[in-house]
Amino acid sequence: MDAIDSVSEQPALPFGMLREQTSGTDRVGSTVLRMAVGAQLRKRREAAGVSREEAAYLIRSSGAKVSRMELGRHRFKERDLVDLLARYGVGDDEREEFLELARQANVPGWWQRYGDLLPSWFETYVAMEHAASVIRTYEVQFVPGLLQTDEYARSVFRLAHSDPEEVERRVDLRRRRQALLTSSNAPQLWAVVDEAALHRSPHDGGLCRAQLALLLEFNELPNVSLQIATFCRGVHPATCGSFTILRFPVQDLPDVVYLEHLTGALYLDKASDVEDYVDMWHRLCTKIDPPEESGSTLERIRTEVCATS
Amino acid sequence: MGELATGVDRTVAHSARMWNYYLGGKDNYQVDRDIAEEMLAIYPGYGIKARTCRYYLFRAVRFLTVEEGVRQFLDVGTGLPTAENTHQVAQQFAPESRIVYVDNDPLVLAHARSLLTSSPEGTTCYIDADLREPDRILAEARASLDFREPIALLLLGVLGHLADYEQARGIVRRLLDGLPPGSYLVQCDGTTTDASYVKALADYRETIGVPYTPRAHEQIVAYFAGLELLEPGVVPIHQWRPEPGLVGVPAAVDESGGVGRKPLTPG
Repeated sequence: MDAIDSVSEQPALPFGMLREQTSGTDRVGSTVLRMAVGAQLRKRREAAGVSREEAAYLIRSSGAKVSRMELGRHRFKERDLVDLLARYGVGDDEREEFLELARQANVPGWWQRYGDLLPSWFETYVAMEHAASVIRTYEVQFVPGLLQTDEYARSVFRLAHSDPEEVERRVDLRRRRQALLTSSNAPQLWAVVDEAALHRSPHDGGLCRAQLALLLEFNELPNVSLQIATFCRGVHPATCGSFTILRFPVQDLPDVVYLEHLTGALYLDKASDVEDYVDMWHRLCTKIDPPEESGSTLERIRTEVCATS
Repeated sequence: MGELATGVDRTVAHSARMWNYYLGGKDNYQVDRDIAEEMLAIYPGYGIKARTCRYYLFRAVRFLTVEEGVRQFLDVGTGLPTAENTHQVAQQFAPESRIVYVDNDPLVLAHARSLLTSSPEGTTCYIDADLREPDRILAEARASLDFREPIALLLLGVLGHLADYEQARGIVRRLLDGLPPGSYLVQCDGTTTDASYVKALADYRETIGVPYTPRAHEQIVAYFAGLELLEPGVVPIHQWRPEPGLVGVPAAVDESGGVGRKPLTPG
C-alpha cells in the first residue's frame, strides 16, 4: 500500500508486528525506523480520534512538530511519547515495545562517521539505502555505485575532487555501502544500466577488465539482478536521467524515489510521483533484455572494449 | 494470465496488481487500488481471501516438500512477487528444490526474473507462456525439470481466468498427462458460494484487464478426476490442513482447493 495519503485507511499494525518487521535486521537504520514509528503514531492518534492540535497541546508543542514526528523527520522524546500513547489509549506492554523502537530509532548509523564528506542529502540516501529491502536503480552514464570496483569509483571521484585523501575516504565509504550486497539479510538490487555506461570509462584506457569482471561476478549473486539496455534494442522508454527507487521492509512505508542532481537531491514519496517513476521502471525493464541475457552481453562488451584498449 | 502481452498499462486495472494490493503489496497503481476498493465495497472478503490463498500455498508447498519429498514445482500463474513465494517456501525446507514459474504477463515475468531468484543449491526458471498453451509449457519445463521424477503442478487461482470450464478442465488434464507418475496437482479457485463475490466479478468483468469466473465447488472437485486425493480432499482452502494454533480459527473464504497425486500405475 504505497499511497502515503491512504495510510490512515490501513488498520494499525500491532507493535509486535512492527517490531518483527523492523528488528532482527540491524540494517533497518534509524531513518526508516523513525518513519515507521511515526506512521504508527499517526494511526494510533487517528484511531483514538485525537486531532493534531490536541496532540500538540498534550506535548506542549505545535501541530507542525507533531506532523514532523509522524513523518519520521524528528527525533522522539520519551516524555512526549509517553504522554501521547497514554492519550491514545495504548496499553503498558505495547507502550514498552513502542518506546524501545523509538530508542533504537534514535541510534546513529555507521555512515555518520563520514558526515564531513557527505552532504546531508546524501547522508539521508545512505541511511535509506542501508534500510532498503529492494533497490531498483537505473543508470545512464556510470556503472551503479554499488557495483563499482575501487578503481572505477576512484576515477569517478577524481572527476570532482582533487584531495587524494578525500578521494580515498569516499572510495572507502562506497566499499562499505557495497558490502551491503553480500551481508546476511542483504537487499535485492535490481539494476538497469544503459549499454553506453559500459563503453565509457571514467579513466584512461577504456573500461577496465576488472570492472566488467566484477559486474559478471555480481550478476551471479541471487540478490543482484542486472539488465542492460543494449544499443541494438533501440530507444527505451526511460525518458529521464538516472533514478533509484527504494523499497523498505515495512508495509506502511511507501517506496521512495531518489533523484540526484549537481547541487542536491530529491526524495519523492508522494504516491502520484512515485507511480510515475515506478511505471517508467516497469516499461523500461519489460522492454529491454531480461537479466538472463546480461552475462553474454557483458562478455560481448568485454570483447569489444578490451580489444580496443 | 490473459492478453496483456503487449505491455504495461497503468490506465486499466490489472488482476495481478490488484491481487498484490489485496495482499498488502506495493506493486500496484492508483487505478488498481481504486477498482480493488470498489470491488471490496461489494465483496469485503477479498483481503482475507488473498491472504488465505497465500497461506494455503505455503502449507501445500511445505507439505509436499517435507512430507512427500517433492523437489520440483511447476507454478503456472506466478503473479507478482509477495512474501513466501513458491521457491522461497520449497527452498526453505529443501534448498535444492527446482521451481519453474510460468506466466504470460510481461510485468509479472520481469519481476519474477529479477526478484524470484533461487538459492544457490536449487534453481528457478521462468517461462513466458499462456495457460492455454499446455504443450508449450511442458516442452519448455523439460529444460529445467527432470521428467523422471515427480513434479508438483500449481494452478492457484488461475483456472478462473478461463471463462470456458471445459477448456479449463482440458488444460488441467493435458498438463497432468504430460507429467510423470507420482506427480501432484495443487489447485484452488474462487467459488460461487457467495452472491456478493459473484456479483463483484460479474460487475467488473469488463473493467479489469483479465476477467475471472468463479466455479461451483463440484467443478473444482472435478479437476482432480483420476488423481488420488490427499486428505482432506477438495475443501474450502481455510480447511485444508489448517493450523489453528498459529493463527486462531481461520476465517472462512469462498475458495476451494486440494492436493491430488497422479497414480504410479495408470488406470
